[in-house]
Amino acid sequence: MSLKSRSVMVVGAGIAGIQAALDLAEMGIKVHLVEESPSIGGRMPQLDKTFPTNDCSMCILAPKMSESVRHPNIKIYTTSIVDSVSGVPGNFKAVITEKAKYVNQEKCVSCGLCEEKCPVKIDDEFDMKLRKRGAISRYFLQSIPSEYTIDRRSCLYLNKGVCRICEKVCPAGAIDFDDKDKQYEINVGAVILSSGIDTFNPIHFGNFGYKRYPNVVTSLEFERMLSASGPLGGHVIRPGDHKEPKSLAFIQCVGSRDENINHNYCSSACCMFAIKEAIIAKEHIKDLQPSIFYMDIRAFGKDFDKYYEKSKSKYGVEYIKSKVSDISQDDEGNLILKYVFENGEIQYKKFDMVVLSIGLQPRNNITELAEKLNFNLNEFGFCRSDANTPLNTTSEGIYVCGAMNAPKDIPESVTTSSGAVAETLKFLRLERQDLTDKKGAVPEMDVSGDRPRIGAFVCHCGINIAGVVDVKAVAEHAGTQPNVEFSGNLIYACSQDCMNTIKEKIKEHNLNRIVVAACTPRTHEPLFRETISEAGLNPYLFEMANIRDQCSWAHMNEPELATAKSKDLISMGIAKARELKPLKRLPIPIDPRAMVIGGGLAGMTAAISLAEAGHEVYLVEKENELGGNLRNIFFNFEDDPQELLADTIDKLRKNRLIHIHMSTEIQKIDGYVGNFKSTLLKKGSDQPVIVEHGAVIIATGADEHESKEYLYGESSRIISQVELERMMKDKKFPGGRKPQNVVMIQCVGSREEGKMYCSRICCTKAVKNAGVLKKMLPNANIYIVYRDVRTYGFREKYYSELRGKGAMFVHYTPDNKPEVALVNDMDPDTQVNVTVFDPIVNRNIEIKADLLVLSTAVDAKKENLDLAKMLKVSLNTDGMFLEAHAKLRPVDFATDGVFLAGLAHGPKDCSESITQAKAAASRAMTFLNKKAVLAEGTICEVNESRCTACGYCEQICAYNAIEINKEKEVAKVNDALCKGCGACVASCRCGALDLRGFTNEQMFSAFESLDIINVMNE
Amino acid sequence: MSNWEPKILALLCNWCSYAGADLAGVSRMQYPPNVRVVRIPCSGRVDPLFIVKTLQSGYDGLFVSG
Amino acid sequence: MLQELKDTVKKILEEKKADIVIGWKKGTLPGIATPLFMEYPEDVGELIFDHTCRNNLTSYLTKDKRKLSKDHAKVGVIVKGCDARSVVLYAVENQVKRENVFIIGVHCEGMYEKKKLRAAAEGKEIFSVKSSGNIVTIKGRDLEKSVPEKEVLSDSCIYCRYPDAREYDVFIGEPRKEVDVPEEFSSVNEFEKKTAEERWEYITEEYSKCIRCYACRNVCPSCYCNECFVDQNNPQWIGKTPETTDSIIFHLIRNIHIAGRCVDCGSCVTACPVEIDLRIMNKKVEKEIRERFGYTAGLDINEKPAMATFCEHEKQDFIMS
Repeated sequence: MSLKSRSVMVVGAGIAGIQAALDLAEMGIKVHLVEESPSIGGRMPQLDKTFPTNDCSMCILAPKMSESVRHPNIKIYTTSIVDSVSGVPGNFKAVITEKAKYVNQEKCVSCGLCEEKCPVKIDDEFDMKLRKRGAISRYFLQSIPSEYTIDRRSCLYLNKGVCRICEKVCPAGAIDFDDKDKQYEINVGAVILSSGIDTFNPIHFGNFGYKRYPNVVTSLEFERMLSASGPLGGHVIRPGDHKEPKSLAFIQCVGSRDENINHNYCSSACCMFAIKEAIIAKEHIKDLQPSIFYMDIRAFGKDFDKYYEKSKSKYGVEYIKSKVSDISQDDEGNLILKYVFENGEIQYKKFDMVVLSIGLQPRNNITELAEKLNFNLNEFGFCRSDANTPLNTTSEGIYVCGAMNAPKDIPESVTTSSGAVAETLKFLRLERQDLTDKKGAVPEMDVSGDRPRIGAFVCHCGINIAGVVDVKAVAEHAGTQPNVEFSGNLIYACSQDCMNTIKEKIKEHNLNRIVVAACTPRTHEPLFRETISEAGLNPYLFEMANIRDQCSWAHMNEPELATAKSKDLISMGIAKARELKPLKRLPIPIDPRAMVIGGGLAGMTAAISLAEAGHEVYLVEKENELGGNLRNIFFNFEDDPQELLADTIDKLRKNRLIHIHMSTEIQKIDGYVGNFKSTLLKKGSDQPVIVEHGAVIIATGADEHESKEYLYGESSRIISQVELERMMKDKKFPGGRKPQNVVMIQCVGSREEGKMYCSRICCTKAVKNAGVLKKMLPNANIYIVYRDVRTYGFREKYYSELRGKGAMFVHYTPDNKPEVALVNDMDPDTQVNVTVFDPIVNRNIEIKADLLVLSTAVDAKKENLDLAKMLKVSLNTDGMFLEAHAKLRPVDFATDGVFLAGLAHGPKDCSESITQAKAAASRAMTFLNKKAVLAEGTICEVNESRCTACGYCEQICAYNAIEINKEKEVAKVNDALCKGCGACVASCRCGALDLRGFTNEQMFSAFESLDIINVMNE
Repeated sequence: MSNWEPKILALLCNWCSYAGADLAGVSRMQYPPNVRVVRIPCSGRVDPLFIVKTLQSGYDGLFVSG
Repeated sequence: MLQELKDTVKKILEEKKADIVIGWKKGTLPGIATPLFMEYPEDVGELIFDHTCRNNLTSYLTKDKRKLSKDHAKVGVIVKGCDARSVVLYAVENQVKRENVFIIGVHCEGMYEKKKLRAAAEGKEIFSVKSSGNIVTIKGRDLEKSVPEKEVLSDSCIYCRYPDAREYDVFIGEPRKEVDVPEEFSSVNEFEKKTAEERWEYITEEYSKCIRCYACRNVCPSCYCNECFVDQNNPQWIGKTPETTDSIIFHLIRNIHIAGRCVDCGSCVTACPVEIDLRIMNKKVEKEIRERFGYTAGLDINEKPAMATFCEHEKQDFIMS
């Protein structure tokens, strides 16, 4: 038995590291999250929007950032690096150095006075040097931790021994020039690497004029320009003359797909990144014309092609398939692009501004890290991992996620994070967690029936509030409000001694509601809630008035009006507090077992991951054979897929915790997270089996599209890629002769009206199969007729290899598809003539093909709909299962306890299915590893006597948390699923629904607390 | 009437707009102090009646953001 | 046609296809029919159907906490087009089970609005209302007058797009699926041409007449809450006296509560004792819902209600981004 630990170190706190840390922490594992920069967050905070949903990047990331800083199982080390890792998996010893911050993080109140007064002004790296910052600064506005740090490289005092201005102006006395680097030695069972990527620096490409021509910027710089919270406040202007650009060129593949710089890989994300920036820029400047210069548009992810098409039809983005060879600048700072088409034609065009879509490359310090941690890099310098073990490094016990081992977009990074977590579990001691609070909790006072006795506290926050707002007057005003028994001021409400004061006042005045006027409840409400519960009050008897972030800081020049506003805000808080009720969080027991639907690669992998972590699994497969689509894959670039299949089946069958139900259909699934009950029926049997489980993983796969085009079915020589693989395996070709001319047509049934999605795997599959054919039949002529070659990531290498071996690639457009005719329509094995327009020679070419291989689409299973209805989850317009969030919850559903893996989510290859299956298992275990979870306190409730069971709430609830009880004719809220958004409450005409913590009464009380009409008359 | 200033009530979603209002403060963006904010868990919480109710209470405008 | 209707109802009761059938009988006042509850075949004697059968009888299916539906396994109801839409609404909103209602559709030529009759009679007491062709003859105290039918037809009927039931178990005659009414929203179109100030002035004037008798709510087939928001105390949504702002709120919220649910049966207009123009805002909301969501209440029993669904392609022009 190997050694087991209860903790893991995660290196790098971008979205990948954060997700890994959160998943582990939720499973009860202690996480040491090590980040080199002063804040967690990584790349995402730099992004304005995310494709293809145009979500605000920071808005979706921030909740995860705050969750990780608040999680009791996560310890965050910022400005820190890993010095060494020694020992064996299950018992590693890691040494971490935390660089001196020179600011006491406990005392700093993040007011920013220090930076304002700091005489040093240096380029801000976060804002891509488009802005200056002080030597003391905060990494970015929403940094977590939010406290300031001093950059020792540029601080005057630390370098020249003079200045110390920050120390003088700091109201909290937080500056500490004696701060030293700290070293921590920790024991961990496993390590997850997630230190991300760097972007390519185009300074090396002189012909693009980066840094010489001011109006040539990188895509990341442009992203900061677009960002509303960025250095330009979201106003897109040319850096050269601050004019609004009217034409904008994006140049793709700058530093990608380039053998000359050993970047013979695709950076995967830049096409979508450019499309997104073009759309957002167009939204900023209505008369802007964005143009994208590209080789292939690689919009291969889920719902990406729809976004691409929309950029053309709705936003008028222009796409020019050509290679930009040179940029020159005219007197007005405009840029003249010289570009070459496939047929050698050269053109010139003038643009106001140029964005270089820079590629992704390994972090500059990855070699150093690889030496310290003893893992290997691949030929491009990324962390090495293999196709069938995509989350393993070459060092046992050390796993990799995010873009560190291959360029990835956000959802794929997040998926690898959860996947890597599943891999660490074999070195960890997992225990199902209890709800019992380990700290000696103070018994709760029963205040029901007591009249409200409100305590109101007004925080100075040093001079942050008190410098603008007359805090004494606000406290006095609060004292005049009905039911306020005590009001007073606190210097720093969140400091330990002030919180003790609050507790004392609760006792002294027998207070049963607390209102604190200070900063924002988003960061401080949990702290104060904890404080009042330590004094025996229910934590929900608390309300905050935000008089700093939303008052003193926003009205710094209008102290009187800011004071008046503060008075109003605290009155509203008090009014709401008067109506507050104590709330309970109900425990929901969790069944540790899981059901996996689908016995293909994804389903089997998920089941194995769950079982290896100790969970009983019911694996349900409709057919009488395991393996799904993997049964039809015989070749891969570097390994044998059939070996993978055999190994996986073997592992599955050997694990006694896995119960395999073959030839079985699911008739019914009842219940909710932690408490599902499913009815299974084996083919030929009339005895349904009922299984109980706490989570469900959907891994039902997808189908190969059957072509209705290109005379498929009319000659044995017109086949699909899957059929080709079988022929190559059996070495049997139609007509009994080895084919001489082979044509492959891409995008058959994909990327067309009604099926506007990319099937993702077919380009790589064509390249792979063509490569195998070329090996078998070196003299064969292979033509691949394509729309865009989408060999993303390291798959690009195989594409260029194939081109090197002489395979011909012919580009076609959907309005001019290749034409296929039978040579002899009486012969079932007839050859076919393929006619296609070749833009390189600018005319039609005709190929007499011995084999016509159709790269057919991945189709969603028709049965998805039934399953979706059973589990009350959604499908997208293509019939694929729709995850909870395209970016940050790629394997979850909005309905808790249901997860997703493999082709059922969308087209993907084996390696990606494996990752996703492990991720789904991991996400399921964040629930299954708990004996119970607590329902939220602020959830909906039904007043049954008012409810008419009209069912609007049931349909409106995004989380399936309300159901109409047909017998009792009332709506029932499922406490386990309700997220407390209140949408149902607003939909309820009868007034039967209400949201605890935000009840109608509480809202009305706040609305009506101010005597506005009289104020106006004064 | 020349000194008249509108009183505006803002119902802000905790997850986005309320965070946005915080960010405006953190960035020291200055805006007129006429707005009073009530934090809500989601803009979906806003009952149509809230709108008429706040106007009836005397507010001159209501800003729902989410 | 009436005989056929009587025979049909009689047969339904004899064959126990329904335990009770609701229809109309002659009222005590001329021009206004009154509900008739038929439990036995012989009860059909009093049954009538003519221009006076204004009331939307389907509201008996839900009123009084669905007492009628609870007392009888299967209730039959005679319906005009608008009434049938109410039954569909009830089925969609779980208020009745479709199979528990026996819907008898009748060919509707429009109903007379008593307020219009009164106006035509110049306020004099009416003794009788007779129609022949398109001419309505009103006899009363010191009065005998003939007017074109259009002058006394209810607005809901003049602009009715669905005069006949689309959902029914039996139909007397040949149902019209939909009739083309180009002027359907003419009043709304006129209203929309006004400035915001003018519209507000109009609404204020109309709604300030309200005496808060709640007759509109009580007759409304789409208002079946156990306890209306105006009656609730905890919380108290609005003031309970006929104070103008409270009255406006009452009506505006009612407009919203029946958004995508109003079948334009006109019951509220008939019921209002102070002659508020209740139809204009209901119709405005109906138009909005149709334009925005392509939804019309009570047409399709399998369609999800407009206000309970969300599609990404819906107009979101109210959002500033």
